[in-house]
Amino acid sequence: MPESKDISAPNLLKEFGADHPISHMKDSIMNLLTSFGFEILNGPEIESEEFNFDMLNIKESHPARQMHDTFYVNQKSHVLRTHTSPVQIRGMLETKPPLAFISGGKVYRKDDDSTHLPMFHQIEGIYVDKNVSLANLKDLIFKIIKSLFGEDIKIRFRPSYFPFTEPSAEVDILSNNGKWLEILGCGIVNPVVLENCNIDSKKYSGFAFGLGIERIAMLKYEVSDIREFYKSNLDFLKQFK
Amino acid sequence: MKIAYKHLIERIHSKPSIEDISDKLFQLGHEHEINDEIFDMEFTPNRGDCLSVNGILRDLAVFYDVCLYDERYEEKIESFDLDFINKACKDCPTISFLKIDLENYEIQPYKDELKDYFNDLDANKNNFFTDVSNYVSYETGQPTHCYDASKVEGNLSLNYVNGSYNFETLLGKKLDLKGKNLVFSCKDQIINLAGVIGGKNTSCSVDTSSVIVECAYFKPDAIIGKSLKYDLSSEAAHKFERNTDRNCHELVLRRFLKIVLKHSKVKNIEMVSYNYTEFNKNIIPINIDLINKIIGIKISKEEYTNYLSKLGFILTNLGVEVPSYRNDIRTQNDIAEEIARIIGYDNIPLTELKITNYEQKYGSNNEYKIKRLLIDNGFNEVINNPFVKDSCKTAIKIDNPLDSNKSFLRTNLKNSLIENLLFNERRQKDSIKLFELSDIYTYEKSINKKRVLGIIVSGRIGKNYIDFSKKLNEKYLLSILKKYVPEDKIVLDNVSRNSINSKLKTEIVFLQIELDDFNLDIQKYKELSTPPKIFKKYIPVSDFPSSSRDLSFSIEENSQLKTLENLILNYKNDLLKDCYVFDYYKNNKTQINKVGYRFIFQSQIKTITDEEVDTLIDDIISKCLKIKSVKLPGYKN
Repeated sequence: MPESKDISAPNLLKEFGADHPISHMKDSIMNLLTSFGFEILNGPEIESEEFNFDMLNIKESHPARQMHDTFYVNQKSHVLRTHTSPVQIRGMLETKPPLAFISGGKVYRKDDDSTHLPMFHQIEGIYVDKNVSLANLKDLIFKIIKSLFGEDIKIRFRPSYFPFTEPSAEVDILSNNGKWLEILGCGIVNPVVLENCNIDSKKYSGFAFGLGIERIAMLKYEVSDIREFYKSNLDFLKQFK
Repeated sequence: MKIAYKHLIERIHSKPSIEDISDKLFQLGHEHEINDEIFDMEFTPNRGDCLSVNGILRDLAVFYDVCLYDERYEEKIESFDLDFINKACKDCPTISFLKIDLENYEIQPYKDELKDYFNDLDANKNNFFTDVSNYVSYETGQPTHCYDASKVEGNLSLNYVNGSYNFETLLGKKLDLKGKNLVFSCKDQIINLAGVIGGKNTSCSVDTSSVIVECAYFKPDAIIGKSLKYDLSSEAAHKFERNTDRNCHELVLRRFLKIVLKHSKVKNIEMVSYNYTEFNKNIIPINIDLINKIIGIKISKEEYTNYLSKLGFILTNLGVEVPSYRNDIRTQNDIAEEIARIIGYDNIPLTELKITNYEQKYGSNNEYKIKRLLIDNGFNEVINNPFVKDSCKTAIKIDNPLDSNKSFLRTNLKNSLIENLLFNERRQKDSIKLFELSDIYTYEKSINKKRVLGIIVSGRIGKNYIDFSKKLNEKYLLSILKKYVPEDKIVLDNVSRNSINSKLKTEIVFLQIELDDFNLDIQKYKELSTPPKIFKKYIPVSDFPSSSRDLSFSIEENSQLKTLENLILNYKNDLLKDCYVFDYYKNNKTQINKVGYRFIFQSQIKTITDEEVDTLIDDIISKCLKIKSVKLPGYKN
């Protein structure tokens, strides 16, 4: 019964489905970053320890390596990547600066509770050129956060520690209830990492940033329990049209 | 680590408020929470030097005039002959021992800093020497270990053992040491798991009157992972793992002694130190231009000097001498971080960045088009984690799974999507169209990756009156995909309900396609939908069952159809979750319209009752029947 033939008939509603809220959030952020000039790179979820840790200056005995609590596969020959940073290593090994890459996707850590999942999503970006500074990084981070949360959002930068960046920072936003919430980690690429990727750290510098997509999605959609994203409940999924 | 506000301001001249200190700690990069005037600190793993009151005070000295806790025993201490052999000098390049003999067993009630420590932090007391050791670690960051001297007989050695050894900790936990472990031994008996926890066989008690206090520097590599391996909660290991000051031992032991002397009479004191390698000062060249370049600021040499001096760095002609407790400072980038912390990251100006190298539109690729094709046809995207119980021989095994039901990586999306489908069927969903896009990994000589699309359908095609009575099946899936995927690549799998213990009758069809199988025509697909531009606040999903009712109206006047539709579709009630036209028929002879509405009710807080549904339905009916020519055949008021 074609709807055009009977104008008095009830509306023939077409029901659309929906992108998963996490992929929608990922796509939105990737779109934003590509509009700033970043190129998308993809990489494998199963990584060597060399790319996941060593090249990123995360030494075997370093507490940060324990901190990650990694899933090992195939008789410890590989790991499930604990972050999307190995993709940046691959990018830097293949491209000479100036370079600006982003990568997004699933990452894995050996956690499973109400606030941590063994699988979650990250987006990371790296920019390497001559004279890249912390002040440049702050400018980009402000643009990203204001695009996501509005011009009036209050932003706080805190010193932090990541083996692959130095100086390192964590960035918080002020939530409606007056609490600071951590949104992303970033920093100036550690010269050791540049040298590991055959980039002359005396000539070039860079910055890198990474954010957890679930964290941003929880804030934007006001979802309080991270596990809701992965129940595949149609009542939940259909809300994100 | 818990640090009392009181213990900080005792040593800060200006007595700042707890809020002010809190702000400064955040500026310095020290996350924390505050409960009852206690800072619960969470230091980054590179800042082992901050794991003490003095450590935090040293950082706060950037902002305040501080005075560290440094009252020590200043008299000369005689050396003594300790029968000690260090067979692990590489991992323990310096170690000192202090021997104290008390005059008697009398210990005065705890006073001053020792009393405050136990009172303010509600810390557990053990015995006098262990309590002093714990306090000194809290104050200085340097762990010490106390042996009851009367129990240490014969030669003492620090050595590696490799193999299986029994060891009972001073807390009575029996361990089976395995693999390579750094230990202190006495008469071939292990008396201390070095840097982690001492043994019961030489531990102090309330009767200890003669003690040997060990104060060592252990390289983090020698300690890392031990407390985790043996499931021990060791503050000493936590500190050694994050690196300690190898240059502080005599000062720490003299501090230890000072506190002992406040509480007891001592008849004999002896100390011996072993330094196996020379401590080289860490000097970094001064390069202010580079620091300015890294941060993106312009500071003068005076500012540079002033900032670093406040943190205890010494500027010499050779460069910046880094304090021995700052093991994290090695490079110009580390110095830049120190300067940036003091200035405050929030005070660093923004410098506009323009990246002009790339121009690319995200969202034009095949995957985007495939998603839009499915979403336009009512499919919802799901994301599943890849861990499964068992799988085929090419499945990749997780060496350390979360549990045995998650030991492998899935090799296809079928089981995940079946689980998603059954989950929704249990929630009374009668039209299920789901898809997932994911990487799949297998192992055949090497690790192989492919990007796949999985689709599963069951139930009604849709809920409008055209699709309501049509069933999702193989034909339906083919009709959507055949234009974009070669038919031989569309291998439909009709899932047997018996195999999944489901009693429903509706067909389940699953399909998995490699993304490479889509032909280029997918790029020509003109999408009807776009991803939403705004992020709507999500409404919590109810876990209570829903209840549905159908009403079939007859309407003689065509124009009243819209009136009825407007009334019903705009009817608002918290319990009415959804309503739609599932049936429509117009008799061309009589011109009577028949229209069927389905109403779905659900409560957020409880299982909805028939009475509640009846009340709402009666209200809807009474409103509808007021519309001219609208009847509800068979309805008796």
